[in-house]
Amino acid sequence: MKTTTQREGGSLAGPTIKIALLGAGLALAIAAALPLVGAHAWGWLAVLAATTALLFYIYLTPRHIAAKYLVPGTIFLLAFQVVPVLYTASTAFTNYGDGHRGSKAEAIIAVQGASVKQVPGSMEYDLAVATREGAIVFLLVDKTGATFVGDGDGLHPAQFTVAGGKVVEADGYTLLSLGEANLRNDDILAFSVPTGEGAVRASGLTRAYNGQATQFYDGGCDCVTDRGTGKQWTADNDAGGFVAADGERLPQGWKVSVGFSNFTRVLTDSRISGHFLQTLLWNFAFAIGSVLVTFGLGLGCAIALNADRLRGRSVYRVLLVLPYAMPGFAMLLVWRDLFNQQFGLINRLFGLDVDWFGQPATARLAVILVQLWMGYPYMFLVATGALQAIPKEMTEAATIDGASMWQRFKQVTLPLLLVALTPLLIASFAFNFNNFNAIYLTTEGGPFPPDDSSVGATDLLITYTYRLAFGGSGAQFGFAAAISVYIFAIVALVSVIGFRRSRKQEEVYS
Amino acid sequence: MSVPKRSERAGVGKWMRQMGWRHLAGIAAVVFSLFPIVFVVSAAFNPVGSLSSTELYPTGASTANFIDLFTRTAFSRWYVNSVVIALTASAVGVFLSVLAAYAFSRMRFAGRRVGLMALLLIQMFPQFLAVVTIYLLFAGIGDFYPSFGLDSPWGLMLLYLGGALGVGTWLMKGFLDTVPRELDESAVMDGATHAQTFFRITLPLIAPILAVTALLGFIGTINEVLLANVFLRSDDSKTLAVGLYGLIAGQRNANFGMFCAGSLLTAIPTVLVFQSLQRYIVSGLTAGAVKG
Amino acid sequence: MRIRITGVVTLAALSLALTACGSDATPASSTASKAAGGTLTIWADDQRSAALKPFAEKFGKDNGVTVEVQAISKDLQTNFVTASQSGKGPDIVVGAHDWIGNLVQNGAIDPVQLPDAQKSAFAEVAVKAVTFNGQLYGVPYAIENLALIRNTDLAPTAPASIEDLVKAGQTLKTAGKVTNIMSLQVGTTGDAYHAYPLYASAGGYLFGQKANGDYDPADLGVDKPASVEAFKKIAALGEKGSGALTRSITGDNAIPTFTGGKTAFLISGPWAVADIKKAGVKYDITPIPAFAGGKPAQPFVGVQAFYVASKGKSKALANEFITNYLTKPDLQVALYQANPRPPALVAALDQVKGSDADIQKWLDAGKGGAVLPAIPAMAAVWDPFGKAEAAIIGGADVQTTLAAAGKAITEAINK
Repeated sequence: MKTTTQREGGSLAGPTIKIALLGAGLALAIAAALPLVGAHAWGWLAVLAATTALLFYIYLTPRHIAAKYLVPGTIFLLAFQVVPVLYTASTAFTNYGDGHRGSKAEAIIAVQGASVKQVPGSMEYDLAVATREGAIVFLLVDKTGATFVGDGDGLHPAQFTVAGGKVVEADGYTLLSLGEANLRNDDILAFSVPTGEGAVRASGLTRAYNGQATQFYDGGCDCVTDRGTGKQWTADNDAGGFVAADGERLPQGWKVSVGFSNFTRVLTDSRISGHFLQTLLWNFAFAIGSVLVTFGLGLGCAIALNADRLRGRSVYRVLLVLPYAMPGFAMLLVWRDLFNQQFGLINRLFGLDVDWFGQPATARLAVILVQLWMGYPYMFLVATGALQAIPKEMTEAATIDGASMWQRFKQVTLPLLLVALTPLLIASFAFNFNNFNAIYLTTEGGPFPPDDSSVGATDLLITYTYRLAFGGSGAQFGFAAAISVYIFAIVALVSVIGFRRSRKQEEVYS
Repeated sequence: MSVPKRSERAGVGKWMRQMGWRHLAGIAAVVFSLFPIVFVVSAAFNPVGSLSSTELYPTGASTANFIDLFTRTAFSRWYVNSVVIALTASAVGVFLSVLAAYAFSRMRFAGRRVGLMALLLIQMFPQFLAVVTIYLLFAGIGDFYPSFGLDSPWGLMLLYLGGALGVGTWLMKGFLDTVPRELDESAVMDGATHAQTFFRITLPLIAPILAVTALLGFIGTINEVLLANVFLRSDDSKTLAVGLYGLIAGQRNANFGMFCAGSLLTAIPTVLVFQSLQRYIVSGLTAGAVKG
Repeated sequence: MRIRITGVVTLAALSLALTACGSDATPASSTASKAAGGTLTIWADDQRSAALKPFAEKFGKDNGVTVEVQAISKDLQTNFVTASQSGKGPDIVVGAHDWIGNLVQNGAIDPVQLPDAQKSAFAEVAVKAVTFNGQLYGVPYAIENLALIRNTDLAPTAPASIEDLVKAGQTLKTAGKVTNIMSLQVGTTGDAYHAYPLYASAGGYLFGQKANGDYDPADLGVDKPASVEAFKKIAALGEKGSGALTRSITGDNAIPTFTGGKTAFLISGPWAVADIKKAGVKYDITPIPAFAGGKPAQPFVGVQAFYVASKGKSKALANEFITNYLTKPDLQVALYQANPRPPALVAALDQVKGSDADIQKWLDAGKGGAVLPAIPAMAAVWDPFGKAEAAIIGGADVQTTLAAAGKAITEAINK
């Protein structure tokens, strides 16, 4: 009876909801298309149209049932995770980083812009920005009190009402307030009044000076020349920078493709290859160790508190989850203080004088302990959910068979839990493998051997990458991306192996 | 010292075996959980507001830090933003990931295992690198749709939804694997469509794990700093994590008390969400549903 | 069961709808109505943005523009460079002068043109700090450097040398009045900025200087014999020596150790004063004492400045704001009041000197101090130098530690 009612309700509600949702999707797509049409972004419009068409196809065809379930999340995943990650990974083939972020044209503009100087001995002016028939002009008062109109042709003496060194009124001109002038920002920046040497430009909106770019780019020699000294910096298009004959580089460079050199550098750089194996081993130990201890404690607590008749059960649960509810970065900082040798509570409470973060073994123990604290509520929650999801009939059946509690756990509960949780444990391993904050906010990778400060005893590959990429003169995104690709490959390999093992369990119910 | 009578001892022994050890374990775990948090509480009520890890008890009792938090910062605004963003992102995120998990668990299609692997691996890429690209991406989106660009909570929410499929799908797929397929199959035999089976049979069965995933999503979102910091700039649009981070970013000492007070208040919505979800997590829904 | 499902679906639909309606709904971010003259956006860290807000708003109201001051809590410099590159950056950014090298190499900021008369209104060291490759890149507003802060109840007279300081601290420690001889933040990875005055006093140097006074990245001093000697003196103060310097003192607990009365001497900057006043400790500020017979213990002098973004949408107005509004004493005095450290503008400095005796003391402590190098190579020094310092204070061999640090720095510079 019940089933029949459901089916009847479903046969009506189902299609109605489907039509409503598809209609909403269409409306959304049209709304999204309008700005694209307005901006003539035809390429993006095509992407939008294709996506919408695909969505309609998937939800209207009776086939591709799996796709109906996968598509909504996948769209978000592709747009906001896959695309950024692929794009970032592609920078591994470039020198992208500080000093090499933009194009060559942008670098040239930056070089010239940075070299603008006041022409020595030239005049400074009080400025009023005005318009004449809509075009920008400068009304200028120099130090002697002489007044000029500056336009695209040059300076022309003129008369206006000046008070306190400022132009207050001028016939035939409309004076612009700061706000009005700001609306014409681009016109004002592009505007300059040519003089014999250099040009009068605005410095802000109420002063002007006679300035000149002292370095200029010449496409003929593909070089930058200094007007004063005649020194030349020639473009090095393989490295993305301007270099002088004496080896001096201009600070502003541009992004160029460098092929595989970032990848080979990872292999040849002694700072990386020399420590790679050691760091990798610890990285695995940390990730596996963190997963095991958090899972062990979390599961233990979940089992202990998983009894219907246990009084105060929900209070225990809330209190256990608290570490997870507190902002993680704050708690990591608190833990760092707890391990302080002189002031930390751990040493004082137990009457110790251990230099926790000063020795490799204790530092490693400490970071795992912190991870245990940070992570076990998560495992506790998940294990609690998993225990609840195990059909009672199964454990009850075992009880009737006369199995002891331990036997029940080992033979019934644990295998079922592992089916449910193995994917999660793999995911957790992957997360901890790259757990940047856990290390960076506590030991910062230390302790470091005094004779080689490049890699510390608790450094993970990711913290190590971070220092290499950002520790020198500015960020080196390309290089860091190359290291990340290596790490990525390693984790992928390990996860695939782990995943293969989980297949057997997965097929239990398949 | 008097020896308890035999029956009494047996009673205590039985109680210990059945319930007592659970309490002991629970108390031990609670002590372990709370001990670092005590410092936060103590610093929050310490008028000087500095962190002094040598003392567990508060050296002063003052609510000045809490008052400062509300009068000197846009704390209540951050609070509302955080709760709205985290609730929405976790609710939609759970929905998206349970859909995907259902497909991964119940259906066999080309690229299934590769898809699952890819889902995991994509999470492995260091975010501090991808953040630059994400910035460029949303700068572009903002050109067309200002409400979803940078400095907009909506854009941030989209970004969070991009990560929804990640761990959530893995978590729920594992659980769906334990739900006997016979249940679906019998429903289909009764003539239910796949959508009806999913919404009416499967979803209620895994209510506990939906609740857990929602909670984890909520906590993850409300504590997220890196991306939110890039997105939200104006004071009114910030989330708790970003706002609180700002209090200690430059000068840790000066605002540490306020920061701790804020951290404690941040935990409240999480605890409330947990409380409201607890009945789903712990109730014997599963058994009932199987029978129904 | 049906009710629950309906609930779930409704919730999901509601959330979707909420998200979808975003384009119509006003995002929480949109603030007061925009003024007609467009927007001027300023990025600063949290503290500075709070101080700036009232003045920025006044400037906006007076001139018919909207001024938005936005606090970037984390990685302000990196975010600014990234945002600038994509054209979504602010018009003005506020930061320390040692950012200039990096901002210039990314084409993120433009030089500012100040007439000589305006330039000379600033403290000389401040102008020097914001000058890079012969161009002025920002308008400075505050000067900061380290000094010795002492608890006058515990130590009534200022120590004449480091040796005196250690002796006085040791006496107090033996008497049980304090737990630490002094508080100088080291931490597990060291702190080059805080270590520099002692290092300089003992005869070490970071970079040689070119004839024109610029730092020369080719002449690295870290592994030179003079620096080894300097670090031997520092090692004598370390954990294996007198114990004045310890890795247990970190950036987090250095100031609380002093305010909590656990030590009589703190080496820190103007940012420590607010906490000290709050704790009610009687204090005095004096220059950091030198090693007996050594060179002066020069601290680094840092300058906070405003920069004009190259790709800002209101660049002319931004220039106007920082060259003509920021060069007036009122704003600098106000910034001082929000965050008491010596103003860079001499007129503003004179104004606040009368009411705050500390200001002159900070300046005296910074006198002769080295301007914090803004060259990009400096970024390569911090990390290895700090770690070497921490290792040596922990008792590591000076010679080999510095040789390794020197090698690491050289490699990073020539990457």
